[in-house]
Amino acid sequence: MLLFRQFRMEWLLYSRDRVAMFWAFAFPLLMLLGFGTIFGSGAAPALTLVVAGEVQTQAGRELLGSLEQTPLKLLRLEPGAAAARWAKGETAAQLEPAGAGYGLRVNTYMAAQGQLTAQIVQRAALAAQLREAGHEPSPLPVQLESPGHAHSTNYAAFLLPGLLGMNLLSMGLFSVGMVNVSYREKGKFRRLAVTPLPKWIFLLGQVLHRLTVTLLQSALMLALGYFAFGIRNQGSYLLLTAVMALGTACFMAMGFALAGFAETSEGYAAISNVFFLPMMFLSGVYFTLDAAPHWLQRAVVVLPLSPYLRALRAIFNDGAGLAGQWAGLGVVAFWTAACFLVAVRRFRWA
Amino acid sequence: MTGAAGTSAGPALQIRGLGKAYPGVVAVAGLDLEVERGEVFGLLGPNGAGKTTTLEMIEGLTPADTGEIRILGLDWRRHGPEIRARIGVQLQSTSLFNKITPREALTLYGSYYPRHRGAEELLDLVQLRDKADAYHITLSGGQMQRLALALALVNDPELVFLDEPTTGLDPQARRGLWDVVRRIKAEGRTVILTTHYMDEAEVLCDRLAILDHGRLLTAGTPLGLIRELGIPSVVELGFAGTAPDPGPFAARLGLEVAGRADRWEIATQDPKALLPGLLEAAEAAGVPYQQIHVRRATLEDVFLHLTGRSLRD
Repeated sequence: MLLFRQFRMEWLLYSRDRVAMFWAFAFPLLMLLGFGTIFGSGAAPALTLVVAGEVQTQAGRELLGSLEQTPLKLLRLEPGAAAARWAKGETAAQLEPAGAGYGLRVNTYMAAQGQLTAQIVQRAALAAQLREAGHEPSPLPVQLESPGHAHSTNYAAFLLPGLLGMNLLSMGLFSVGMVNVSYREKGKFRRLAVTPLPKWIFLLGQVLHRLTVTLLQSALMLALGYFAFGIRNQGSYLLLTAVMALGTACFMAMGFALAGFAETSEGYAAISNVFFLPMMFLSGVYFTLDAAPHWLQRAVVVLPLSPYLRALRAIFNDGAGLAGQWAGLGVVAFWTAACFLVAVRRFRWA
Repeated sequence: MTGAAGTSAGPALQIRGLGKAYPGVVAVAGLDLEVERGEVFGLLGPNGAGKTTTLEMIEGLTPADTGEIRILGLDWRRHGPEIRARIGVQLQSTSLFNKITPREALTLYGSYYPRHRGAEELLDLVQLRDKADAYHITLSGGQMQRLALALALVNDPELVFLDEPTTGLDPQARRGLWDVVRRIKAEGRTVILTTHYMDEAEVLCDRLAILDHGRLLTAGTPLGLIRELGIPSVVELGFAGTAPDPGPFAARLGLEVAGRADRWEIATQDPKALLPGLLEAAEAAGVPYQQIHVRRATLEDVFLHLTGRSLRD
């Protein structure tokens, strides 16, 4: 009964901060809309290749012909104009005469696009050479498929579980962790310390409140995902909810645990960033780390967000069951228990 | 769940050897006190005397370095929740959530106790009816103090702690608070309060202890402490601006004259006998006093006598 009263008071006070509440719900939705729209539905980005001058040989013409079969956008410029464009940093990759044939120049500041363009050009060049030798190139068929054999290349579908996880992480570290440190710093807990209110009821009241908030936020995101991008949960809703509850518990416990080590808000911001930033950037929220160095990929899975997202995506995007997820969820559960213990030991009213 | 040793007899509070030190400063040292049930007990002292530290150790907010505390016969280590259920606390400054209203706060805090008083009667007691639904952050300092007082009473406590309850209140509100304290006492509760106002200590307290630099200087009833001084009256000569050195005049009079910032003070057993001769001598010596005031000795004089300093430092 007391727990319910605490829970109700948390909601009452929360709802009185209209601005914060608005952003808590609007922000993740905006992120989903924004990123989902910008990065579109997995169509290949338009890549431009600047052709600075022509090599008037058979091989040269063959190459250009081959290039025109690729999805690259060819921009033929006079050498002078090409040099000017390069100097301005607008060119990702440039094909130019080099010796008897062509060479490639790639812009280090646009390495991602440039390398991708270069690879396409290389393939075209090899294909041209094959044809010259009288053979017909026969590339292998490529199929885009997720680990659970789902075929969608929709980035928004990949992003949505990432945002759900990210939302739980920031709810835990900031809405729970930072808020508690800030309140403690301002002495708002002192008056509670002289009452018989048990700490665990106070904490649980907060946890339940935040849990209902995240459930609402997630429901809204799933609805937006469905109506705006046609994304559907491929797995069981029950399992999805259970896994989300686990994620909430984990990141809130982490928030409480970290809050036990900071005296001030500034101190907490520093401590929490040590965990938050690596997880936000390296755990596969917005992009996967497959291109990153191996040691980094292996290091990141120690933090709970990576395995959590892998499990969440398996369920949401691939419709997986619990079967293959035990290891990942186990890591998350371990973090939850460990953080909870630390939190309970270090929680102080003042 | 009842505590084993909690009784309705015996002192409300017993402290032995209480002490607390922070790096570089001793806040409280070797404090022994006993407070009887049903009395209003004061801790009087200037700012920095250790009154709040002492109170917060007794309330269980701050851990004590040394000493023993027994509240209502109970021990913090073994009976924490029971003690908390039976005491009421008004902190020196109470910080509540910004957007909670007094009515909600009283209801919420009341719910933390097995037994609690209604929010409406408490709002009436401290005269916060018309602000019952205002956000805490919109209340004035005095209104926040009154709410804090109501919160201290929400659980119908046997023992009430008030830390500097009238600091920041205007004179009318101070009188109002004194009335509430008298009401609380009439209801049979024990009150322990801290203050640096001597008039408050004299008016409210059955007994008091005077603290300075974390040590107990003396304890007793207000009247008793004043009588101990042996100087029932003080004649004050007030000057415009700084008072001149009383040395020469004192020598002529053959009496002790204490020089304060803007006045001279002469302690005496019999002001009626002293006055005529004093005024004549002052006239003759051309002492440029503007006002003359005869008052009885107060706790301020007691403190002065013990430390050489004023309560209002």
